[in-house]
Amino acid sequence: MNDIIFKIGGAFLTAILAFTVGMFYAGLRRKITARVQNRVGPPIYQNFLDLLKLQSKRTNVAHGFMGHMAPIWIIIAAMTVLMFIPILQNNLWFENLTLKGDLIFLLYMMVFGSLGMALGAGQTGNPNSAIGVSRGLSQMVGFEIPFVMALVALMLQFKTTSIADLMHFQFTSGHWIILENPFAFLAALLSSLGMFRYSPFDIVGAPAELASGPMSEFGGKYLGTMMTGGAVFAFIKLVLFVDLFLGGAGNNSVEGIMGTGLGLLELLLKTFLFYMIPVFVGLVSPRYRTEQAIQFFWKWPSVFGILAILWALYKNGTLL
Amino acid sequence: MEMLSSLLLIFLIGAITTYFVDSINRKFTGIIAFLFVLLGSLFFYSNIHIGDVFVFQLGGIEMQWGINDYSYYFSYIVLGLGVLALLYSIKYIEGKARQGYFYASFLLTILGMIGVIISQDFVSLFIFWEIMTWASFLLVIYNAYYKVKTKGIKYMIFSAIGAYAMLTAIVFIKEHYNTLLIGEAIERGAFNFQQYRYIPIFLLLGFGIKAAVMPFHVWAPAAYSKSPMSFTTIFSGAMSKMGIFGIGLVLSTFYLQHNPENFYWVKLALGWLGGITAVMGTLYALIQVDAKKLLAYSSIAQLGYIVVGLSTGTKLGVMAALYLAVLHAIFKGALFMVAGAVERQVGTTDMTKVSGLIRRMPWTFFVALVSIIALAGIPPLGGFVGKWLLYEALITESNNYFLVIVIFFSSTAAFLYSYRFLFGLFLGQEEKETEHVKEAPISMLIPMLILGIGSIIIGSFPGLIFEPAAKAMQAIGFKDVTWQMSLLSNIWGNTTHLFLISMLIFSVFIIAFLFLTLKGLKKTRYVGTKEISTSGELPKEWENFTFQHNFFKPFERAASPLYHLNMNRIWKDLGKNTEAFFGFFRKLYTGNGQTYALYVIIFLVLLLLFKDVIFS
Repeated sequence: MNDIIFKIGGAFLTAILAFTVGMFYAGLRRKITARVQNRVGPPIYQNFLDLLKLQSKRTNVAHGFMGHMAPIWIIIAAMTVLMFIPILQNNLWFENLTLKGDLIFLLYMMVFGSLGMALGAGQTGNPNSAIGVSRGLSQMVGFEIPFVMALVALMLQFKTTSIADLMHFQFTSGHWIILENPFAFLAALLSSLGMFRYSPFDIVGAPAELASGPMSEFGGKYLGTMMTGGAVFAFIKLVLFVDLFLGGAGNNSVEGIMGTGLGLLELLLKTFLFYMIPVFVGLVSPRYRTEQAIQFFWKWPSVFGILAILWALYKNGTLL
Repeated sequence: MEMLSSLLLIFLIGAITTYFVDSINRKFTGIIAFLFVLLGSLFFYSNIHIGDVFVFQLGGIEMQWGINDYSYYFSYIVLGLGVLALLYSIKYIEGKARQGYFYASFLLTILGMIGVIISQDFVSLFIFWEIMTWASFLLVIYNAYYKVKTKGIKYMIFSAIGAYAMLTAIVFIKEHYNTLLIGEAIERGAFNFQQYRYIPIFLLLGFGIKAAVMPFHVWAPAAYSKSPMSFTTIFSGAMSKMGIFGIGLVLSTFYLQHNPENFYWVKLALGWLGGITAVMGTLYALIQVDAKKLLAYSSIAQLGYIVVGLSTGTKLGVMAALYLAVLHAIFKGALFMVAGAVERQVGTTDMTKVSGLIRRMPWTFFVALVSIIALAGIPPLGGFVGKWLLYEALITESNNYFLVIVIFFSSTAAFLYSYRFLFGLFLGQEEKETEHVKEAPISMLIPMLILGIGSIIIGSFPGLIFEPAAKAMQAIGFKDVTWQMSLLSNIWGNTTHLFLISMLIFSVFIIAFLFLTLKGLKKTRYVGTKEISTSGELPKEWENFTFQHNFFKPFERAASPLYHLNMNRIWKDLGKNTEAFFGFFRKLYTGNGQTYALYVIIFLVLLLLFKDVIFS
């Protein structure tokens, strides 16, 4: 009985945490962008207000079956992936389903939402949406390659495909993977720039050319749901990188509520630091063309990816 | 009465009967063909058991037909898809010419495939292989009856090359190992790449051509997209698997051995051939504008994955290959049926002409959506299981680490053409030209829906396929293959719980559907595809918002070096050069008596000069 309470309560807690942190970071990004551009900018909680407004609107128009499905698929992908990502080490509240699926599953599950979005945008008939989808899918082929190389390198080096195992290794040994396999971190970091879709890789939404691309026909509750999904996804990506490379979070030595609090603080600190990389890169870069964006990932990031695999093989003694 | 031969007799009688029924009453041709295949399948699964063997003499050669777990596994693909494809054919081919010819060839193809999987000696394997190839050739040229020379020629030539390679290998097996039985040849080590290496290479060539492996795939796109869609379902879904069946047989020597060092290079070469096939098939699929051609190239790519799986030689890898063989039959069969339904209802599958069919053909769209998700390998549908097995096999059990990246590139790029297929035919702008289009007839929808629901169920319970696949693997040399109903695990002990994932996805779907969609559904009205945000400008009636041309142009530009490799051109150049080379010999025949006299004199002089060498 106690177990079930932990499971259900933990799932809710995880969802609320992911949502709050994701929305909060999005607001922070707007603020930082504004300050860099010498504006005052909206308050940090502006995204919550936006969401409240969108959710209180009544939708008048419908875009057919796939249009209805798009926000649902996004929320499915966000919730499912969230349940399989370990948030804190050794914490009953945040255990969820972390041991029931591995990295390959996560990699494919993360595409689910984008696919739903793409199909929904396709049915609206807006050519801007279709162009945005075409760009987004093409870019995905770009950044997934170095990212997968980094993941394969980690899997080979530590002989596991489970993200919880990788996190556990960093805890028990005390070595972070960023130092154990720096090339993998570089490849993943560069591909994360594409994953977050900020400048110079914001070719999907591209406000000036595509009028927000795939999103352009959605409004009201559907847009609000998509925003929520996006915020949760941003959190998921950050936690994934922290879990894989920066040692994860969760303080082992302190028990109880205090331990959880400290762990969450550690998580916030690490994710925030990592989040600032794509944000600051975005602030100073203009937009790439689609083919440039794809080719970017096939150049240096992929070289780092190959080096990461070779390094992993060297480390576990298969090479030489 | 021997069961195996009477099974073949059913199909043969079926072929002849349908041919003649067609000239009496054309209405019943399709139904009779369908009933014959249904009868054959029922007969197969009720009367034929694993371990049945039938031995007889023909012209002094001992022939042996039989069924084991491995061939039983492939019979599911052939007969299962065969029944559905024929049910689909009834309406699809209705009203077209030469139905007797179509159905007779169709039944003969199924006869050939069943023959291939039950033959246990090389002579009957070759005979049935040829029956299968010729019957399918007749169907490839069905739509180009009067232009045979241009349309079917590539398939013809490559099939002939494959057949000659196979025949050569069979002759050498008889010569060196003195047997024609497949089992004995494997036992005596005919395929172990030790002594007579050309024997397995020739056989792999023969089978590889049917499985459309690079660089022998060039016949496939044209043949798959030109033949009637109801046949392509079988052609790509089941007949290409005959090549996989053969490759599996040849490699079974490798699976049986415990230290397979001989196979290192074979493994590497076959694996990379499969990988390159997958990448090139995918790259060409995503630039096609014809949905049928897109599916044809995608078939080539999917077969590449299967070859990669077979080449690993590990339990997980071969399991992935066998699993994908069935799954590819399911989703690609369904997709070719979808293309056929669109072709029948609209008249074309050119994606630059058709779009926005989702509201006209909702059930067809549903099948297309499910099958595309299975193809792309997105959980919780069946395709994901195959992808998972293949990746984990390559990462954990094989030492071919860079092949993983190649496969991953191909399957990520597969999202592009998957989306292109759905968007091109079903989404996008609703056109005036397709306003009258109706949903496909019910007898075409039933087989499509069965296949679609199949890939949904298998996504949660892949054990349904693992069970016969594990038996099949034990029949070709593996020991103790373990499997679980809805749990995937690799040798490092990492697991993925599929049923749990499906339940989670399903429950989130229900909650979101109830609270998000249903709540506001009543008050909304459907707006057409013209009522879109255009920054305040009202689009005119004649204005066109269709985006279908050069859909992935940016990707094409980014990957342009890869598009320079064109196998078609290389084969054409090879053909031209060979022709020029033999053209030189043609010049010897000048038609002038004087020249011939000169040749005779030169020959005599040479004979005199070298007489010591020659006659010593």
